[in-house]
Amino acid sequence: MEYFRQIESRIDQGIGRRRLGYVVLGLVILFFLWFPNDTSQSNYAKTVFISGFFYAIMSSSWALLAGIAGQFSFGHMAFMGIGAYAAGLIARDGIVFAMLGIAITPESFSALGAIIIGTLVAGLVGLVIGWLLLRLRAAYLALFTIAFSELFRIMMLTEYDYTGGSNGLSLRPLLQIADVDTARQVEYYLMFALLIVCLLAMHWVANSPIGLFLRAMREDEDAASALGVNVVRYKILIFVFTSMIVGLAGAIFYSDVGSERIIPEQLEVLQMSLIIAYAVIGGMESLIGAAAGAFISRYLLEAMREVVITLPFGLTTADGGDAFVWETGAWRFALFGVVMVFTLRYMRNGLLYPFITWFSGRDLAMKETVSKRKDDDDYADAPLEADDE
Amino acid sequence: MVIQDTLFVLWLMVAGPLWAAVGLFLLPNVNRGRKNEDLIPATTLKIAGVIGGFALGPVGLGLFYFEPTLIRRTTLTIGVVLTVFVTSQVMVRVVDPHFPSALWLLLAGPLWAALAAYFIPRHYRDEEADDQNVLTAAALGGFAIGPLIFGLMWKTTPKINRDWMIILGSLGAWQIYTLFAIQNPTNPCVQAPFSVTYLTQQTANGVVIGCIYSLMAVGLTLIYSVQGIVSFAHGQLYMVGGYFSFYFLLHAGNLLSELTGTEVQVNPIWGIPVAAAIVFLMGAVFERFFLKPMHEGLIERVSEYAILITFGFGFVIEYTTLAVAGPFPQRTDRFIDIRRFTLQRTQITDDFAFGPINIIGDRAFAMVVGIILIFALLYFLQRTWTGRALRATSQDRQAAAVTGINPTNMNTLSFGMGSMLAAMSGAALIPIFAWVPWVGAEMVGRSYVIVVLGGLGSVPGALVGGIVVGIVEALGAGCHPDPSRGAAYKEAFALVIFALVLLLKPTGLFGREQL
Amino acid sequence: MKRKTILICLIALLAIMPMGMAQADGHCEFADYTITIGGLAPLSAPGAVAGGVAMDWAFNQAADDINADCGVQIDGVNYMLDVVTGDSEGSPERGQAVTERLIQEDGVDAMVGVYHSAVGLATMGMLEANAIPTVFSEPWNDNVSANGILEYDGAPPRFADGIDHIFRISPASSMVGSVVVDWLLSLGVEDVVLIVENTDYGQPAAADEAERFEAAGATVTKIDVELGTEDFVPILSRIQARAEAPDVIRILVTGETSFNLTQQMSELGIAPSEDTICVTNQIAFQSDQYWATVPDGNYCAFNRVGIIPSLFSEAAAELNGKYEEAWGDLIPSFAMASYDAVYIVKDAMERAGSYDDAAAIVGAIEAVDIELSQGRYYFAYGAHNPDLPEGTPEFMWHQWPDPIVTVMQYYEPGQSGLEAAVVYPEVYQTHGTSYIVPGTTP
Repeated sequence: MEYFRQIESRIDQGIGRRRLGYVVLGLVILFFLWFPNDTSQSNYAKTVFISGFFYAIMSSSWALLAGIAGQFSFGHMAFMGIGAYAAGLIARDGIVFAMLGIAITPESFSALGAIIIGTLVAGLVGLVIGWLLLRLRAAYLALFTIAFSELFRIMMLTEYDYTGGSNGLSLRPLLQIADVDTARQVEYYLMFALLIVCLLAMHWVANSPIGLFLRAMREDEDAASALGVNVVRYKILIFVFTSMIVGLAGAIFYSDVGSERIIPEQLEVLQMSLIIAYAVIGGMESLIGAAAGAFISRYLLEAMREVVITLPFGLTTADGGDAFVWETGAWRFALFGVVMVFTLRYMRNGLLYPFITWFSGRDLAMKETVSKRKDDDDYADAPLEADDE
Repeated sequence: MVIQDTLFVLWLMVAGPLWAAVGLFLLPNVNRGRKNEDLIPATTLKIAGVIGGFALGPVGLGLFYFEPTLIRRTTLTIGVVLTVFVTSQVMVRVVDPHFPSALWLLLAGPLWAALAAYFIPRHYRDEEADDQNVLTAAALGGFAIGPLIFGLMWKTTPKINRDWMIILGSLGAWQIYTLFAIQNPTNPCVQAPFSVTYLTQQTANGVVIGCIYSLMAVGLTLIYSVQGIVSFAHGQLYMVGGYFSFYFLLHAGNLLSELTGTEVQVNPIWGIPVAAAIVFLMGAVFERFFLKPMHEGLIERVSEYAILITFGFGFVIEYTTLAVAGPFPQRTDRFIDIRRFTLQRTQITDDFAFGPINIIGDRAFAMVVGIILIFALLYFLQRTWTGRALRATSQDRQAAAVTGINPTNMNTLSFGMGSMLAAMSGAALIPIFAWVPWVGAEMVGRSYVIVVLGGLGSVPGALVGGIVVGIVEALGAGCHPDPSRGAAYKEAFALVIFALVLLLKPTGLFGREQL
Repeated sequence: MKRKTILICLIALLAIMPMGMAQADGHCEFADYTITIGGLAPLSAPGAVAGGVAMDWAFNQAADDINADCGVQIDGVNYMLDVVTGDSEGSPERGQAVTERLIQEDGVDAMVGVYHSAVGLATMGMLEANAIPTVFSEPWNDNVSANGILEYDGAPPRFADGIDHIFRISPASSMVGSVVVDWLLSLGVEDVVLIVENTDYGQPAAADEAERFEAAGATVTKIDVELGTEDFVPILSRIQARAEAPDVIRILVTGETSFNLTQQMSELGIAPSEDTICVTNQIAFQSDQYWATVPDGNYCAFNRVGIIPSLFSEAAAELNGKYEEAWGDLIPSFAMASYDAVYIVKDAMERAGSYDDAAAIVGAIEAVDIELSQGRYYFAYGAHNPDLPEGTPEFMWHQWPDPIVTVMQYYEPGQSGLEAAVVYPEVYQTHGTSYIVPGTTP
């Protein structure tokens, strides 16, 4: 009896926390909806937020691909680039089906049409690459996708007659609003809506049976396969799905929403590594954690550019200068790397994981089941508090 | 410095046969100490000694001696390459290969390839013969020699082994070369009077830089074979090795100048051990703190953790170096005061001359350093107790632990040594390239190509892979049909090979995962 | 427990962000308001970090020097000057965002700087829309100062009213290219190899030079390379394998890639040689870096933008001294120009009698006539003289007409850039020759 009462109280506690979690989430969303109406904020702040949303999409979709499905791809930025370049090239040159003698002129594509085609192309390439990657695991997969994205970048850079080279390629503008303030406002809401839609779609996938299969495959592919999971189908599916999401995000972001033009430098390994680092810091296995990680990390990196730390506080040297001046601008990436390494080592699920578990009440449930199972297994002297590492 | 004709002729007349003779007597010793079932036929060893010694000199002999498993394939490859090279040159000069070959390639080649790929595997299955690799061989053969492939494969249904693939592949490559020659008649790689010299020059470029690349790749392979992880910090360790060497030489030079009162330059060769020692420590400490928990079962999903943690390590190193050393390019003095070695032009017949061939002096030196270090590593792995312990750990962890080897220490040692090798190649290259904190990025990409090509975990594989990548890059940039794009795509050529190897044969040429 | 401690440490680390601005104390009475000028320079990769760092130094040096001299004096009041440098990362997108921030959050009264042309082009619309008086000190693209360009690479029309607020004191790339080409043609070259980085600097410059060479009847081979490549031996061997050695190899590659290329070229004996002239990138002027990384680069020529050492005024020599003290190398032209740009703005504000009246400041900049480290600054065409004569290129609008572009050549290993020979144009020749043949001294 005592036991059930205990469980009951824990369930209540969990439900309470979860409700609180929804309230916090709702408040965050409300804040983002309200933010552009704050007249004290400059357009620059909105610009930072818009690119923050974009990187949040990139990081959270990478978390879905790598964290949940276990497909450790470094080619995520390349798929984004494929979406953007395909949209741009099609809106500029149209399509020619030489064999059929049909040519579709660029004029027949609206900006939206080009974006849709860009998304589809990214998905199609994702299909091919996903199929090629079936046999590769972990390190090999990472290496292959690095090679793929480098090849893509070099091609975009070198074939400048078609792609604009390092000048970049302008896409057909999606929104043509003359007034800068209104334009920024609309772009902000568009990108935020895209983030919410992408997160919902990915959340749905991750929590559907597909997500369950993916997790099972991540843990043990052979076992999952033996239990009747169609490994090939789900692996390719998740690759196509995330490729399309980033392709869409890229095509929209570079259609003059967040940026005017896509440049090959955007596809460098460094950019990809930042996406990965954001996801790691936020939490690789949580979509919202990765998205928040990207947003917060970008904000902090931005803030650290011009911070000057003067130590010791208030003390000066004989000639009146500060005893020790440390400009974080040059060190910010090094610090960021340190944070990433320590997060990986000591907070495997990301710095935001404690908050997420607390709000979801998952820690209560976990303790309960673990200690219960241990009791069942006759571990009489096992500690009640399970080591969750 | 200029090598006179006489020196080259001397090599052909004296040194080649000399090494061949050394090989003839040295290689049969490989059998010493082997059990009966491992014995390699003495004739094979003798032939390999002669060919390897003649063509590759001490390098070939060393390779064969320490890695007898390579003998068969390497000898065969050298033989096929020499034959194709010689016949191609004769063909270009004597016979006009253009018309029939072009027609063949454009029409008949693919047709026969399709036919062979359709019928031969079926026939094999009907005959219940071993049909491993048959599809590829049939397609390649159909493309290369047309209907003759049916004659070869139909009646006897031979088992398709590696030798078949090498020969058919070379023939296919020869066909493609011809097509290439027809499409680009003015390309220096095919234009008759120059192409021999030019191809030799580019191959030499590739071999020299390839040996240097290998040293770095060997480090990756060492870590992989013992720990089963790919280090993504390798490029940054290479970079920081160069910087350690640079700062050591700078300060040592200043200190010695102060003490002696004269301007003293320390030869950059001394930077190599210093960089090696520091980076060994860095790697070992990092391993203890961040990789050790992985083997203690404290971490779920080990391989992904390993990728990320080494990646983060590299990230920290790169940006710390950028903050400390700044973005300005640096470089140390040269190893040797010789700008280049030149093999002078030799008139062989009236309309055919060979040479000149140029090799940059410092690169040649760095190549020698690289080869010595790789052989030293092989010696260490094969002949010392610690080296054997490392190999044992890489082959079977549990068994090694039973025999009293501490796998934890071996992990630390392997990561430290792997990092050290990266740093050594960095210290060996800072006299050759301008050094900036992001210099590792390009190099590490290449190392991945090399280790995957050679087979992750194989040290000789890394050496061969390095040379192959060097040659592919050199020939790719040198022979690209559009001279203005060739250089920009230099990195891409290796990446294409890389993608193909990963897809077709992820275990690489010498596929194995232990040392 | 352990994990919690570390977490707290991490959070604390990120949270420590006290702001402390170093204030220059002085003998002058300053008004409360501080005039803020925005500087734009690439301070992190993938931008040209080394260049950006030098520009950032120049902005701050100029501000320090001005403040030490009692700041900007408007109507008898001394205003302290502060330059806020924004990091463009060399990307147009970042450049735009940072410019927006400088304008809206830092409330800059004027802008200076910009290294990459793409960043310059991308920010022009915003600078015009916000009426910010701007002096660009390094972008070379012709269009940066062209009056009223209607279209830039497919983008919708932006500057229907022309460029009112933007000035440039760096040369347009056409001005630079023509000097090198004229020099080479005067030496009678017929067979030219251009090695070009595939960036927005290299490609347009190469197209421009190739056009000029071809117009004069020379043959041009263009070779693209990717920035960051280290080993150029294969492609150089390809040049070496040609039946006839080219007359000149012109390197349009920047940074350490250019140093690697030049060094390997001379190690292989391709250029500089008796047959082939070596023309390397302008960064070769920074002689310490050049000789450290290109020990065999003797007899290479390079174009120098900005004032030549033999014409260094007292101000220029003093500035160069400060730069050498800070970085141990000669001052690059863009640092000098960035320094001057701050002074031009300061001067214009003083003459306009206002720090926030954009129209008055622009008018004052158009009428500028001041002697600074690079020479006498003035703008021939602007609202004060709006009609460009027939045949004058569009980019001369708001363009300082006199940036000195010369060709210099080293003739002794380890030589300082200050001592290198100026070989072209003839008016600036220091050693009485247009070319120093390898193996000789003038």
